[in-house]
Amino acid sequence: MNPILEGLVKALWLLVSLDPEVYSIMFLSLRVSGFAVIIGAALSIPCGATIALRDFRGKRFLMSIINTLMGLPPVVVGLLVYLLLSTSGPLGPFQLLYTPTAMIIAQLIMVIPIITGVTVSAVSAVDKGVREKALSMGATGWQLTVTILREAKIGLLTAVIVSFGAAISEVGAVMIVGGNIRWITRVLTTAIVFETELGEFGIALALGIVLLLLAFVINWVLTQLQWSGLRR
Amino acid sequence: MLVETQGLTKAYEGREVLKDINLTVQEAEFFTVVGPSGSGKTTLLRLIDLLEQPSRGRVIFNGVEVGDSERERHALRRRIGMVFQQTVLLNSSVYDNVAYPLKIRNQTEDTIYRKVQETLELVGLKEFEKRKATTLSGGEMQRVALAQAIIYEPELLLLDEPTVNLDPRNVAIIENVISHVNKNLKMTVIMATHNMLQAEQLADRVAILKEGELAGIGHAEEIFGKPSDFLASFARLNNVFSGVSHVDEGGLAKIDIDGLELEATITRTGKVTLFIRPEDIILSTSPIASSARNTFRGKIIEATDLNRNVQVKVDVGKVFVATITRRSFQEMQLNLGSEVYLTFKASAVHAV
Amino acid sequence: MRPETRLTVSITILVVLVAGGVLVVSYEYYHWRPMQYMILATTTSTYDSGLLDYLIPVFESKYNIQVRILSKGTGESIEIAKRGDADIVLVHAKTWEEAFVNEGYGVHRVGVMYNDFIVIGPKNDPAGIKGITNATTAFRKIMEAGNQGRAIFISRADRSGTNAKELEIWTKINVKPSNKTYSWYLEAGAGMGTVLRMTNEKQAYTLTDRATWVAFRDQLNNLEVLVEKDIILLNPYGVIPVNPQKYPQRNYKAAVAFTKFLISEEGQRLIADFKKEGETLFFPMARDFGKATQLGFPNQAQEVAWYDTQDPLALQSTAFVTIAVLNTFHNLEVNFSPSLICSWDDM
Repeated sequence: MNPILEGLVKALWLLVSLDPEVYSIMFLSLRVSGFAVIIGAALSIPCGATIALRDFRGKRFLMSIINTLMGLPPVVVGLLVYLLLSTSGPLGPFQLLYTPTAMIIAQLIMVIPIITGVTVSAVSAVDKGVREKALSMGATGWQLTVTILREAKIGLLTAVIVSFGAAISEVGAVMIVGGNIRWITRVLTTAIVFETELGEFGIALALGIVLLLLAFVINWVLTQLQWSGLRR
Repeated sequence: MLVETQGLTKAYEGREVLKDINLTVQEAEFFTVVGPSGSGKTTLLRLIDLLEQPSRGRVIFNGVEVGDSERERHALRRRIGMVFQQTVLLNSSVYDNVAYPLKIRNQTEDTIYRKVQETLELVGLKEFEKRKATTLSGGEMQRVALAQAIIYEPELLLLDEPTVNLDPRNVAIIENVISHVNKNLKMTVIMATHNMLQAEQLADRVAILKEGELAGIGHAEEIFGKPSDFLASFARLNNVFSGVSHVDEGGLAKIDIDGLELEATITRTGKVTLFIRPEDIILSTSPIASSARNTFRGKIIEATDLNRNVQVKVDVGKVFVATITRRSFQEMQLNLGSEVYLTFKASAVHAV
Repeated sequence: MRPETRLTVSITILVVLVAGGVLVVSYEYYHWRPMQYMILATTTSTYDSGLLDYLIPVFESKYNIQVRILSKGTGESIEIAKRGDADIVLVHAKTWEEAFVNEGYGVHRVGVMYNDFIVIGPKNDPAGIKGITNATTAFRKIMEAGNQGRAIFISRADRSGTNAKELEIWTKINVKPSNKTYSWYLEAGAGMGTVLRMTNEKQAYTLTDRATWVAFRDQLNNLEVLVEKDIILLNPYGVIPVNPQKYPQRNYKAAVAFTKFLISEEGQRLIADFKKEGETLFFPMARDFGKATQLGFPNQAQEVAWYDTQDPLALQSTAFVTIAVLNTFHNLEVNFSPSLICSWDDM
């Protein structure tokens, strides 16, 4: 059977048959990347908004750094976090290595520059006049920031969508800090690597299709949010 | 609200954009500021709206000087409405845009709904509630901006060239609304414009800004009754022509503008630039015998409704703009293509 | 929306978030901190053979300790253990194992089992090595054929046990192979499965462990076993608990328990019984002291004796939640055939 077709059929079978291992892997993928993006957004959006709205010395320099970090290879992040969390490392006593928490931390670090960078871009793109207009209409500090963020909504959600996509499909960081331990730290991407190594291309493809489906569902929801209320 | 500025000065990077402005605007007065681009009109309005701090000098509202605290400035801004030159609206529906100032004042849904309806009706956008604000035409967007500025009933309304680049219909609506809130709701209005006609029609008093300095302040009739070179240079004056002038022995100047000959009381010779105020031109359907030295025959090529008046463009070889009352326009049964006579005195021809 | 509804909505969202957070945290806690666990660092070939998935459930239910397996290359596994991120290593690389112990990272090293390597190559065998009983000679013939452009050799080149063995043989004929010096020597830098597929594609020669060969041979139509059973091809596995003095945070007790299990009669019998496609993949050697010494475990007798004195009851975990409970969720049984490791045809 054509391997891609085989993979498609297998993917559907794995999902429909409620295969516990596949579901465990799926939920772990969702959990790890989901938490990383949620926490990352909570930290990065205010940061990015602040950077965008204020002028200060070294702003351009900071932006160059953020933009560079956006392209940081996940596997490098993984390696750094591994060295950090290792028993021999500074955070050794917490024994966090090879746990989902470690994976969340690694993906969080990976995701923060992305969300911050896109947020700065989105907020900066909001017409400067909007801020003044809102001010002149009597908006105060907090109201002002919320108004600007609302205007940048499309861009902000892009940040979330992009970073979630990057997180859920990366394999380097979660492999190194998670260890791909069965049932414990195996996610979709590391499972695909594992099955490929075994030569089980059909299953690997199936898992790949499951990953795509998962990503599609999440992105569909996020895109609804992105464009909500902006029909003609 | 009584607005007063004392020694108001603003400098950007060493360059003084506003120099020592002293003026007082009375309660419920319609005050206009005229001047060319770059003369500091926008800066003046921004300083009064407390969007920026002056380099020197102060702004005083109702006898109370504006302090430094951000909180005080916020509170004052809530009593001032401003319409900017560049229309900026929020990326949502017209309803949400107009309701915004009330939402941030935490008013109830019902009150907001009612007020939005009233205000939209006032600016003639009743049916536009659900439309996305950024898909509207320029004039409609500016009306939304106006609605936003007046819905919370500010004591002072600031307008920065609100009708520039808009079509006459929108200009008319906006002018009506501004006039209405000023006369009927007693809102103090300060408007910047370079349309002399508009300023003359609407304002009580006028201030002229030239390169950041006050170059004249007084009642509208005074200022516009005697147009100066300066005013002519930037105010959107119509009937501006270039020609060559000869002054004859009688002291009357004959000016040749591309074949058409005008007579004027100016003393200059050689190349000149002239203008004639549209209100100084008399329109008639048959030639009139009068003391006026200039009479030309032509056809109406354009007629624009300006509410109480009609602005008429007549081609007599060169195109002249004349303003007559709407009633006259109707009574004379004028229309596009109508043959008319233009008559104006030699003294109505001004040299720039 | 009204201020009042906004407040209600915010509070609801907050409550939902907090409840969700609590649920997730408690699930996390329940899921992976219910009991003792032990991190075993081993090699990909060991793990991929399926032996561990066969052995470990027995151990887990006996001692109530959860085994978490890191399957990496030999070099990486040892490095991880040196950093104290694993409790025990199971690898097959004598030199590195000895260094591991000598540098103070591991204690009580014992030999558990051995299997063997085989030299596989294309069915038409251009180097003419089929049936040769001396692996070193075979390698020389491959080199000669390679120099004449008739053969290719693919190396793991990834610091694995297999790689170590392969290099050991080259050293015996005084060759330090690299792609620079010999164009017929390809350095893959990949795992055994990948290298086997590559060897098949290119109809080349390579060194592989028997277990992986058995697992993959259906996919490798161009290859067959050419050289086997030379002593040098024997591949002993050592298991080493991480030194508790170096890393007191680690679960030394569990490591000792696991080793004890592996070298016990039961463990050794299970290893011998493990077959794939009718072939025995691993041969127990823990209690064959002669063999063990021959294969590089001179202290086997003493160490085994030491392990025998360790009381199993004292090593068992007394955690509240048992493996059995946890595994009902995972649908694991003692004779579990992992759903993702068997192929589609088995389903």
